[in-house]
Amino acid sequence: MGIFIHKINCISPQQTWGDIDIQTLRAAEENRLYAREPVYDGIPPGILRRMGRAVRMGVGCALPLMKDSSPDGIIIGTSNGGMEDCIKFLNQIMDYEEGMLTPGNFVQSTANATAAQLGLMTANRNYNITHVHRGLAFENALLDAMMWLKENPGHNLLLEGLDEISNYNYNIDYLDGWYKDGNVQNKDLYATETKGTIAGEGAAAFIVNNNREQAIAEVKSVRTIHTNNEADLKSFLRRFLDEQISGEIIDVLVSGENGDSRYAHYYKAVEALLPDSMVVRYKHMFGEFGAGSALALWLACRQGAFPHHSIKRAMPHTAGSILIYNSYKEWQHGFILLKRMDPENS
Amino acid sequence: MEKEQLKLQLKQQIIQFLNLTNVKPEDIKDDEPLFGEGLGLDSIDSIELIVLLSREYGINIQDPKEGRKILVDINTMVDYIVEHRTK
Amino acid sequence: MSEIVVTGIGVISAVGNNAEENRQALINGKGGISDLSLFETHYAGLRPCGEIKTDTQTLKTSLDANEPEVTRTSLLALYAFLEAISDAGLTQELLSESDTALVGASTVGGMCLTDELYHDANRDSNGSPYLSEYDYASAAIYLQKRFNIGGIVNTINTACSSSANAIMYGARLLKHGFCKRVIAGGADSLAKFTINGFNALHILSPAQCTPFDRDRNGLNLGEGAAFIVLEKEIDAKHKRRYARLTGYGNSNDAFHPSSLSDNGVGPQLAMRQALSVAGLEPDAVDFINAHGTATENNDLVESEAMRQVFGTVPAFMSAKAHTGHTLGAAGALGALYGILGLYHQEVYPAIHFTHPIESTGLVPSEAYRPMSLRNVMANSFGFGGNCSSLIFSAL
Repeated sequence: MGIFIHKINCISPQQTWGDIDIQTLRAAEENRLYAREPVYDGIPPGILRRMGRAVRMGVGCALPLMKDSSPDGIIIGTSNGGMEDCIKFLNQIMDYEEGMLTPGNFVQSTANATAAQLGLMTANRNYNITHVHRGLAFENALLDAMMWLKENPGHNLLLEGLDEISNYNYNIDYLDGWYKDGNVQNKDLYATETKGTIAGEGAAAFIVNNNREQAIAEVKSVRTIHTNNEADLKSFLRRFLDEQISGEIIDVLVSGENGDSRYAHYYKAVEALLPDSMVVRYKHMFGEFGAGSALALWLACRQGAFPHHSIKRAMPHTAGSILIYNSYKEWQHGFILLKRMDPENS
Repeated sequence: MEKEQLKLQLKQQIIQFLNLTNVKPEDIKDDEPLFGEGLGLDSIDSIELIVLLSREYGINIQDPKEGRKILVDINTMVDYIVEHRTK
Repeated sequence: MSEIVVTGIGVISAVGNNAEENRQALINGKGGISDLSLFETHYAGLRPCGEIKTDTQTLKTSLDANEPEVTRTSLLALYAFLEAISDAGLTQELLSESDTALVGASTVGGMCLTDELYHDANRDSNGSPYLSEYDYASAAIYLQKRFNIGGIVNTINTACSSSANAIMYGARLLKHGFCKRVIAGGADSLAKFTINGFNALHILSPAQCTPFDRDRNGLNLGEGAAFIVLEKEIDAKHKRRYARLTGYGNSNDAFHPSSLSDNGVGPQLAMRQALSVAGLEPDAVDFINAHGTATENNDLVESEAMRQVFGTVPAFMSAKAHTGHTLGAAGALGALYGILGLYHQEVYPAIHFTHPIESTGLVPSEAYRPMSLRNVMANSFGFGGNCSSLIFSAL
């Protein structure tokens, strides 16, 4: 049984907030796609001052969705949480040789700070959890939400994925070979034939429940696998499709292709298993980060056409059933199957 | 250093330390309580201010409870700094 | 959900390298808090910790874990994991099945390598071997790779309640049929990062910590790992079953980023939810393995919350006095100690306790004694107000 998405919000490197315009592609700076953060007028300055980017984006993105009614649970997926605060505190440890340190960064650096801050600001004492399983943090959060709604029909949940670019995690991942060496324009990301990708960040938040009426989309299933074996990945996907759609076609594949020549074969393999599907890509818009599939879900369940720059393989059909596939750092693979709904005819 | 100058410097340091982005030095009154009302600071801020006193003025306060007696308002802080600073 | 049972346990902490050693330490009131001797920090002689006195290299050798990137957190996780799967008789074939799940928890992850992380993050070298291992998920992913775990794998970080939530998530995966067996728990190792963090908050004790004591003076950090294997009772008929996992609750205190509200609304809600999921009245709980960190705030609030929920508070104690606060492992350690007590029908004594907190008068269990236990609760509360309670029941 699926769950239904009712409200969505997204803070990203593109114009996904306020006056949404994703047809115009905003450019990366030095292989990094920084989020265009809105003015956070919903967050009191006394609280805002303590927040690092990740927490600020996470809270700023989710808070407006929680205005009308406080959710029955807050479920967050983030691979790193507030990395910037974490390393700021680390730098203090080293710079002041373990002397007197200010604890603010330490408290904010815990990965659960966004969920905690959302709970605190809205006096929400319900289920509150943060999944941090690297590139499958959001998929696990989504699975958690699906289980929760089955256990507690009638509940509304706030589900969110978020991550930030800090200089520090950029440096670490760069040294580890995950980002490109030369300067790459994000519009040319898929044309590169080199290793690595470009960094990104953002937050996407959703209100989900069991109520089909007026829903934007239905998430039917989420599946994950850890492997670096392409054959295993393919048989996993085949089984998944057999179980879920038994012969019907997937209208759109939203692919996490990221321009990394070393692992492009995963995406090619998945595309090859879905020859009749339109193929849409998003990493040139949002960059690569652990919870990036949350933004892919935002893109997938928005009404209307996909932006022209995102389309890799065009097909005449309209987007009904959509499969999101994302692979992270060679080893982690997540699939999210959803159906866009027409709110008028539900 | 003149007391008034010290007050201004301290206010600037507090703003920087606590990342009070929307606050200007002139917004902080000398006799306004720092905690509770006024700036609305809390227990984590009080620890941050103790670290400020240590780093900027060489004043080491070991017991945070002791700190609360000093961190009342700008006046009490400045008086304490004048008397106890080691740098 | 009465049909979820514990079929395997594994643990390493400052008081023992396996479940039986930990149990003996609990029975005999033997603590593991000492001066740090295995890594360099300014606080080595100043802030005692629950340090596991096996150095990282020895762990690597004994576990045959010679990958250059493997961290102490992953090694501790592996240590406890091996005991748990062997205890439950999970073979390599079973582990690689798609219905075997792993839910880990960590708040430190590879950040135990504080100095290496500093240099890598500031890019002042060509990179250490640990570049891919700093994040919270690194230990679970290490285990997944090493044992080719075929099902759902996850990592949870809700600060000090992380591994209680890992157990709860694991139980729910089982309940929903997303797996047939799940290994759930957590691991954290001592780190300059956390020692300095808790020290900056002025909540590290300069001496042995004294949970629930009137004169308590802060916590001792610790390190360790614990995993439990959960299966459906119907699939584990012929196995040793330690206990049933019958209740869980998760709530947010929504009060302050690093301390609990005076009357412990969050802790109360977590305990009440766990009771409600288990379908139990408060007086059916015979023992509480408390969070009991020995900070001024936690122990007072937890005492207050226990009084509110239970009226007459059952026997309770906190093993933080033995192991120190093991952060991401603490929830699983607490659960495992509760399971041991339940399985052996015994109550362990609190150590380093002298005077009750005046306003509550609560006295933790004073001596080892065999006792008929029906249900045991394990509490975990964390920064960010994340509170969780688990209930295990005798078979």
